[in-house]
Amino acid sequence: MNFEKVVFAFFIILAMSLNFGFFIGEIAEPAHHHPYELFAALVVSLICTIMKFGDRTQFGSTVLASSLVVDGLLIAAAISWALATTGGQTMSPMTMASITSLAGGALIANIISVILLIIETSQVRK
Amino acid sequence: MSDIFFLVLRRMRVPLIFLISVYAVSTLGMTLIPGQDADGNVWHMDFFHAFYFVSFMGTTIGFGEIPYPFTDAQRAWVLACIYTSVIAWLYGIGSLLRLAQDETFQTAVSERQFRVSIRRIDQPFYIICGYGETGELITRGLAEMGMQTVLIDQNPERTNSLELENLLVAPIVLKADITEPKNLSSAGINSPFCRGVIAVTQNDHTNLKVAVASKLVNNGVPVICRSEIQDEADNMASFGTNAIVNPYLTFAKRLRLLTQNPALHRIQNWFINQSSAEHIDHKIAQDGLPSGHWIICGYGRFGRAVYEALAESDIKLTVVDADPIAQMAPQGTIVGRGTEAKTLREANIEDATVIVAASNDDANNLSILITAKQLNKDIVTIGRVSHETDNVLFEHARCDYIFRRSQVIANQVLTIISRPLVARFIQYSTTLSPKATNDLIQRISNLTHHRAPSTWRLVISAERAPALFNHVDRGGKITIAQLCEHPRFTNELAIPLLLLRGGMSHLLPDPETQIQLDDELLVCGRQHKTILAHRLRDNHELVDTLINGNAHVIPLIRWLYRRKHRPARVRTDNP
Repeated sequence: MNFEKVVFAFFIILAMSLNFGFFIGEIAEPAHHHPYELFAALVVSLICTIMKFGDRTQFGSTVLASSLVVDGLLIAAAISWALATTGGQTMSPMTMASITSLAGGALIANIISVILLIIETSQVRK
Repeated sequence: MSDIFFLVLRRMRVPLIFLISVYAVSTLGMTLIPGQDADGNVWHMDFFHAFYFVSFMGTTIGFGEIPYPFTDAQRAWVLACIYTSVIAWLYGIGSLLRLAQDETFQTAVSERQFRVSIRRIDQPFYIICGYGETGELITRGLAEMGMQTVLIDQNPERTNSLELENLLVAPIVLKADITEPKNLSSAGINSPFCRGVIAVTQNDHTNLKVAVASKLVNNGVPVICRSEIQDEADNMASFGTNAIVNPYLTFAKRLRLLTQNPALHRIQNWFINQSSAEHIDHKIAQDGLPSGHWIICGYGRFGRAVYEALAESDIKLTVVDADPIAQMAPQGTIVGRGTEAKTLREANIEDATVIVAASNDDANNLSILITAKQLNKDIVTIGRVSHETDNVLFEHARCDYIFRRSQVIANQVLTIISRPLVARFIQYSTTLSPKATNDLIQRISNLTHHRAPSTWRLVISAERAPALFNHVDRGGKITIAQLCEHPRFTNELAIPLLLLRGGMSHLLPDPETQIQLDDELLVCGRQHKTILAHRLRDNHELVDTLINGNAHVIPLIRWLYRRKHRPARVRTDNP
């Protein structure tokens, strides 16, 4: 058992789970999507990205790429959130829907990361 | 590029994760801790404001409590955040600085710079492995010729001094282990501009390794090796090393030549030592070394080479060595270093004509030479210098002929590289009869007024001599004599030494020989004196005027004349 691998797998799966947690719910309903979940998903995803820095294998670079996609989408979601609530505005259902769909896109990329992780692990066993 | 980039990313992982965590926790804390707005209502900072606040707090750009003054709980949290974020930044920046000082990182950076400069080379270059005294002389010689060099050496102290030297063409330096084939590849051995690999490290075995690696990586590149041990030299030769330079054998051969055929030695000396002249007494260079009784002090590699070169002549040889049994010295060897008068007397210094100080210790050699001079002031002294810097001492000691190992190798390597025809000429010159040799010396002396001549190679090819090539290609005729002396220039300007035609060398070719396409001609003449062939080489008009007799200045008449007198194309079979 490689401790580094455990930590990495932990973070990559945590990123996906948090992302899913934020994503699930009525798409345009602000009450179903908590900002803390988005925040946690973003932070964990950033940490995942950095953990894949400097990995020159084919697997590592693909995971890095999908991680970067997640970061990009979640940062976009966070920015939309911040913009939508500046000056005491209330969140419109349309903005909420777009934030959720951005998080949905990030979820796909996160799932790809996890699939890659599973593939790599199964290859190691062979 | 990618190496450095990945190295930075990899090393920055932990500091970056730490920084992100600190920021995340700080931001989270700011949103969780309740505040109070102006009216005293409980208020929670949103993520946007929290991140904004943490960002400017973390970088300590300035402070302000936004959008409402903080409560004590918030201030306590901010206090904790300030210290942790400062630590996180210090850690991150510190790691980056440590990385910049890291040897691996620096090697990666310098290797990258090296690769970039190798890729930028757009002219022929040589790879020199080992920047010792020999490497330095060769580098300098090549730089003077305007030739690019790539140096590989592990010792940064020697190569660093290169930066201070104002060489005409700055060599590209890689500080790396030569024996690793990967370094040869990164030095550009596979580049189409690579003209050869020169292995001149102190260690024969390293040179052998370089030669093997070069031949395996790129078989087409010529390899020139320095070798001082016969075993290794044979090994190098076995897989096609193009030239093997053994300074001891070379110098011993020269000594033999100097005793048996001084005139030929003089000719060779002129042509080999164009890069740096050897220190040789004028009278000896003229008349050669006396035979009679020679004393060789030190029976190491050099002493043995001299002994073997002279063994079959009528010279009486006495060897002096401190440990004759270990060195397998010949019988009758006198035990001692030769630095004391007693040993030299034992070797009969009073009747000796020549003493060779052949040990590998410069101080001992000097002592031998000075003692010998005191005991027999007519004796001719030959000294071996191991370290270039001691050369001055030997000159002060009035040593008659100084053997500088590095210089002998460097001159030979440079001759092989830059003047292949000269190398050929020297090889074939041993077949010259004594009379022919003396005649040649006489002719060269008349030509150059007793100064050392310089050689020049004329290649009748489309690139090197377009005008002459064109002329000959059209069936025009020109003899070697015409190239060297033209009716308009009454006195002889150059002497043809060697003609290379179809792989065959013709020593001292007949001046009436007609020049053909792809001929290579070696001529010698006065230094810095342009001969006609220099100008004829690429001057179509001059060829037309001087050889075809088309002296018209007006272009139209010149053209008409040329049309009328154009020689028929001979090579009609050529498609």
